[in-house]
Amino acid sequence: MIWLTWRQFRTQALIGLGALLLLAGYLVVLGLDVHHAQQDTLAHCSARADCTGPLAAFADRYGLRTDLLGYLLLVAPAVFGVFCGAPLVAREFEAGTHRLVWNQSITRRRWLAAKLGVVGGSCTLAAALAALLLGWATGPVTAVRGARFEPVAFASHGLVPAAYAAFASVLGATLGLYLRRTVPAMAATLAVFAVVQLVVPAVVRPHYRAPERTAVQLTAPIVANLSKIGTYGDIGGLRVPGGPWVIDTSAILDESGAPVGHSDWFQDCMDHSSLTDLPGCLADHRIHVEITQQPADRYWTFQFVESALFALLAAALAALAVRRLRTRAD
Amino acid sequence: MTPVLEAVGLGKRYGRRSALADVELSVPAGRVVGLVGPNGAGKSTLLQLACGLIAPTAGRIRVHGAEPGVRPDHLARVGYVAQDTPVYPDLTVAEHLRLGARLNPRWDAALAERRLARSELDPRQKAGRLSGGQRAQLALTVAAAKRPDLLILDEPAAALDPLARHAFLDHLMESVTELGATAVLSSHALPDVARVCDHLVVLARGRVQLHGDIGPLLARHARVTGRPADLDALPSAVTVLTRTEPSDGGPATALVRTEHPLPDGPWAVTAPDLEELVLAQLARAENARRPAARPEARR
Repeated sequence: MIWLTWRQFRTQALIGLGALLLLAGYLVVLGLDVHHAQQDTLAHCSARADCTGPLAAFADRYGLRTDLLGYLLLVAPAVFGVFCGAPLVAREFEAGTHRLVWNQSITRRRWLAAKLGVVGGSCTLAAALAALLLGWATGPVTAVRGARFEPVAFASHGLVPAAYAAFASVLGATLGLYLRRTVPAMAATLAVFAVVQLVVPAVVRPHYRAPERTAVQLTAPIVANLSKIGTYGDIGGLRVPGGPWVIDTSAILDESGAPVGHSDWFQDCMDHSSLTDLPGCLADHRIHVEITQQPADRYWTFQFVESALFALLAAALAALAVRRLRTRAD
Repeated sequence: MTPVLEAVGLGKRYGRRSALADVELSVPAGRVVGLVGPNGAGKSTLLQLACGLIAPTAGRIRVHGAEPGVRPDHLARVGYVAQDTPVYPDLTVAEHLRLGARLNPRWDAALAERRLARSELDPRQKAGRLSGGQRAQLALTVAAAKRPDLLILDEPAAALDPLARHAFLDHLMESVTELGATAVLSSHALPDVARVCDHLVVLARGRVQLHGDIGPLLARHARVTGRPADLDALPSAVTVLTRTEPSDGGPATALVRTEHPLPDGPWAVTAPDLEELVLAQLARAENARRPAARPEARR
């Protein structure tokens, strides 16, 4: 059965392997470059007390490529689900070949297990390898940015890409078993996976552990990195040194904890400073924000919990598929 | 001896639609069974139940005394060629044999090779490019080379031209003889059934109308020709299945079922052929559907 599954899966597998090798080759080249640049930067500023500036420049230089590769790995499990998972069973129904293969001397349950094992396993392995290489290649950049918890970075590093790939391929196969047509199964897989990938980071992930509330002093460099400062002191895109996951932020507060949005000095800074002066102008007033956060050292806990969650979902879907095979087969 | 195939109160519903109901069937070993009936009679449903592709909603079906399609060793004993003879379009003919060899412990590679050579199939050809007849031959080869004790074929020759059908049925009979297997094939082509089968199951409207070995079945039926008034006087033990009376007042013909040879009378008795018998049964089943003519009322 493994031979047959492999034989049917061969074209997709070879295309996938080719893509994986290309990506791996690029990642090795990029990784060597990144590590080399990091050594250079560290050696260059070892004599100085503060290396923040040169390291930030180093991270900036590789930032775009790191982001793009992160998106690539975010999309990869969906591609696996749509192109490997969904046709896995649906194509047999469409061609009627389930009636051929189910009458060989092998139970349907083993047939499904072999299919899920070979195809789901390959997808999982491919995603794991890509994530491992990406983690090595862009690790120094992510470390400097302190942004491991950002949605795209989190979803493209560590264990979770493998778990997503396993889930997506089983999801595709199960939807194929229920819908019995390839193209609808592909569309449904994409839709369901996209919804899951939006809901989990936004709604489920923040609750793996109880978040902590802390105050963060807004220094000039932190202010400079914000993506948004509103007219009345609300902010966006806060990155805290050390790389915790900032779930929620208050508006800018002064030393007594009162919002600064309507104070004269704040409006003065906002109206009369250039973009380069603004961080300093604001930071001079000893401002801070209250944040809800997941501390950076919880990163691997979160990786484990989320991987386990997706592995569990995949197992539940596989159980559904087996049930469907038993109750309504042809 | 346990029958190869046995159905008790067997029924299958799809939602509200009943595809099969109250099927009682017992097929002894070594027969070549022809399953005939009009479209939608439930032939495919019965065969899919027999190989375990679907599960019954009522009653039970046993093949070799066990529930079909559950255990691998049981699957090994039943060969099935589905309607439209599906094969993997991307796999070559040789790869289909490899598939069979890997998935069946009782696989007979020599038989497969021999059959392939006989049907002049190129092992390197993709199955998707085969003609209908070649595809049917390939599907039959895969089913036969697993050396089943029961070979089930669902209208395998339906899509074939007369020549290909002839060749296919020859190969089928060769395989059945070589395997010493029981075979069940459904068909609407009555001449095909008459040619290869020795046991008949007539299915109409989801029910078995007639079933038995063809020889004794034919012996229990007779074609009677005589004046209409004389035919009205047939003995009461005789069941009239169909009766045709020409409008010009010529002699009427009736197809009748009788357990004993008909007594001499003012009529001529001839032996019916299989096609006549099946058509009469189907016509009777069709008539029974009309509320005006309940079968009980006609008897």
